[in-house]
Amino acid sequence: MPPTIQACRECGGGAPIDAHFCPQCSKILSLGQHGDYFAFLGLPRRLMLDAADLEQRFRMLSRQFHPDFFYNAAPAERRASLERSSYLNDAYRTLKQPVSRIEYLLQLEGAAARTPQEQSRQVPPALLEEVFALNEELDEIRGQRAAGAAARVLAPRLERARQPIERRRDEHERQLAALSAEWDALLDRAAAPAARRPVLDALRECMLERNYIRNLLAGIERELGD
Amino acid sequence: MSRVVGIDLGTTNSLVAYARDGAPVVIRDSRGDALVPSVVSAAEDGTIHVGREAQRRLLTDAQRTVYSVKRFMGRGIDDVAGEARHFPFSTSGDAGSVVRIGLGSRTFTPPEISAFILRELKARAEAYFRAEGDPAPEVDRAVITVPAYFNDAQRTATRDAGRIAGLEVLRIINEPTAASLAYGLDKRHSGVIAVYDLGGGTFDISILRVEEGVFQVLATNGDTHLGGDDIDLALMQRVLAGAEIGPAPDPAPGAEASAGPALTREQIQEVRRAVIQAKIDLSDREEITLAGRRFTRSDFEALVRPIVERTLGPCRQALADAGLEPSQVDEVVLVGGSTRIPLVRRLVADLFGRTPHSELNPDEVVALGAAVQADILVTGNREMLLLDVTPLSLGIETMGGVTSKIIVRNSTIPATGSEMFTTAVDNQTAVDVHVLQGERELVADNRSLARFKLGGIPPMPAGLPRVQVRFQIDANGILSVTAAELRTSVVQAIEVRPSYGLTDAEVERMLLDSFEHAEADFAARLLVEAKNEAESVVRATAKSLRAPELAAIAAAELAPGERERIDAALAALEAVRHLGDRDAIIAATQALNDATRHLAEVMMNRSVQAALAGKRVDKYA
Repeated sequence: MPPTIQACRECGGGAPIDAHFCPQCSKILSLGQHGDYFAFLGLPRRLMLDAADLEQRFRMLSRQFHPDFFYNAAPAERRASLERSSYLNDAYRTLKQPVSRIEYLLQLEGAAARTPQEQSRQVPPALLEEVFALNEELDEIRGQRAAGAAARVLAPRLERARQPIERRRDEHERQLAALSAEWDALLDRAAAPAARRPVLDALRECMLERNYIRNLLAGIERELGD
Repeated sequence: MSRVVGIDLGTTNSLVAYARDGAPVVIRDSRGDALVPSVVSAAEDGTIHVGREAQRRLLTDAQRTVYSVKRFMGRGIDDVAGEARHFPFSTSGDAGSVVRIGLGSRTFTPPEISAFILRELKARAEAYFRAEGDPAPEVDRAVITVPAYFNDAQRTATRDAGRIAGLEVLRIINEPTAASLAYGLDKRHSGVIAVYDLGGGTFDISILRVEEGVFQVLATNGDTHLGGDDIDLALMQRVLAGAEIGPAPDPAPGAEASAGPALTREQIQEVRRAVIQAKIDLSDREEITLAGRRFTRSDFEALVRPIVERTLGPCRQALADAGLEPSQVDEVVLVGGSTRIPLVRRLVADLFGRTPHSELNPDEVVALGAAVQADILVTGNREMLLLDVTPLSLGIETMGGVTSKIIVRNSTIPATGSEMFTTAVDNQTAVDVHVLQGERELVADNRSLARFKLGGIPPMPAGLPRVQVRFQIDANGILSVTAAELRTSVVQAIEVRPSYGLTDAEVERMLLDSFEHAEADFAARLLVEAKNEAESVVRATAKSLRAPELAAIAAAELAPGERERIDAALAALEAVRHLGDRDAIIAATQALNDATRHLAEVMMNRSVQAALAGKRVDKYA
């Protein structure tokens, strides 16, 4: 179990693990190794965040930690302010975008892709059909281009070729949204970790496919640009 | 408590401002001039001139005069090779190290040249505070502004310049963000602000959201080599081509240096002055005469439109990064002298669909904002808070010369990022790390910030060590790096050798150097002042002693031996006043003053001669 209490470096008093200032001496607490972005912002690990609420929390905490307000403080407090501000900014940046928020949650829950191979594996099984079809089409287009066909002629073909893949991408966005809602519902009724696990696994698979498609589309984009 | 100031260290001009009871004020010289031209010149005798005088010397002594040094900040000799040949001053340096600039008989790094400008601004501020009767007029802390799009090396160079000038740099802040603070837009609005900053040599665009006094930069973009200089140059080329008096200069700033021999430097400076005047005149006139020819505003606009349009791409990119449409921008603020050009205003208004703000002087608004930020830092005033971003992504080199991003651009700063490293062969004890800044995929296309060797890894089988390298970007946008091997908890101290910067030791040495020189200069000036005072007292005393009226006075009023004491004091001062001992001169001057005080009073009373009394050196009393 992670610790729930931290010690104030200034007065030696105890403080809850996600407190930012010491309840005893009110000094800014140095940042420990424990805790996470959600807890830091005082948020449950939900995936559907209210954007305005996140902004509001970010601004409020910025006003508490920012190094501007610790210019005349002792070196240890200045360091703590820099650490807390940096952590806040990193948290805000990560949680603001739905995709990085999901990736962070997966990591936090120990459900992230474990190896680099897994992250960039050849083709997710669910995509095999579309990817093979696309590659065939791409090879043909490349061949025609090498033979001197005008880009103007090839562009519509390329466009057609990537339509099925783009449909899959849209499908993934919907799927991610649905899984996020499912996760939040489980969290809200305090479901057991074992019950939550399948949703996390589904989210991971969905993310892997999504990232694969993204790279694929970016590759086509580059080829179109050439 | 010493004073803090805000400084706009510009390519063309620099300014200093401070907060008077919370409201920012630009500090002017006795003629009311706020701008200090960012020009430094070395006279034959080694005296360094800064500002207007140095600018005048551009005509008479161009080889010993340096301008636009901001373009060289944080750059290496290989970076500036193309550009440097257009400047009349010389540049040198070893490949892969910081560029050096010739100034008189010595060479200096760009931070040292900038430090001359900063010292001038510091002196100007101190003179101003002294004149206001401030008992502690010393200025030793400052907030200095940089273009938002400055990279780590350029920011570090700016901070180094401050340190060399004897200033503690409280904060490096971005020019457009500073401008938004100066406008105090938080008091009137919450909403989205676009700050368009077209300076002499750089262009910046920043998109900010203001809410509850928090100025949050959402995105920034720009071009560190696009500015009013490019407009001047295009105009000069047009004039020179039209006049057919010589080959057109190369299309780069400061190009007059490479113009053919048909044109003298004076002639080219004449043309430069003419085009700068033309720019001003055309802002409220439709037609002028330039180099003897009719030149209309539409001629001018046709010529400079391509340059101004280069600013629109970065504006659109910044909006896209902020996730906003142009119509979602509530306020547009203009900064930089070049935004006085009507075409610039029109294009900006068209892009954002609203009339830009221009209530504040676009030359002064950045320094004013820096003063506001300085005030926030020292007073702990929490009404306003600036949350800026890092303009460029930070990454490291990975296999195959590819950049792996660790902190993406437009991340709010301070920010951190980390990366795991391991070893490739058994018992390897060191890993090379190459830190980069930029958006491109290939290492070669990005800016190299630093290379360092991560040493002291305990010998282990390949792939087993887990070395975590942590990157911290502070509120100045400046990077620091730490590392630890996680299995053994060995923390590495990393000496990051900046690719194009100065090491701490070098900055320290330059600071000491400048102190030595500054102290020598200061002592010399004080000695000259003491000698001048001594001379005027001697002359006045001698003159009085020769006066025919004195015989009568001496008989009636002077005590026995008084005349002898005056003569002795006069002889004593004569003996020391040409030597180098300032204290002795001051003491002897004082003694002569004391000896002649009674005589002076008597003469005053008799309304004979006010000369003696008028020459009293009261400031030594």
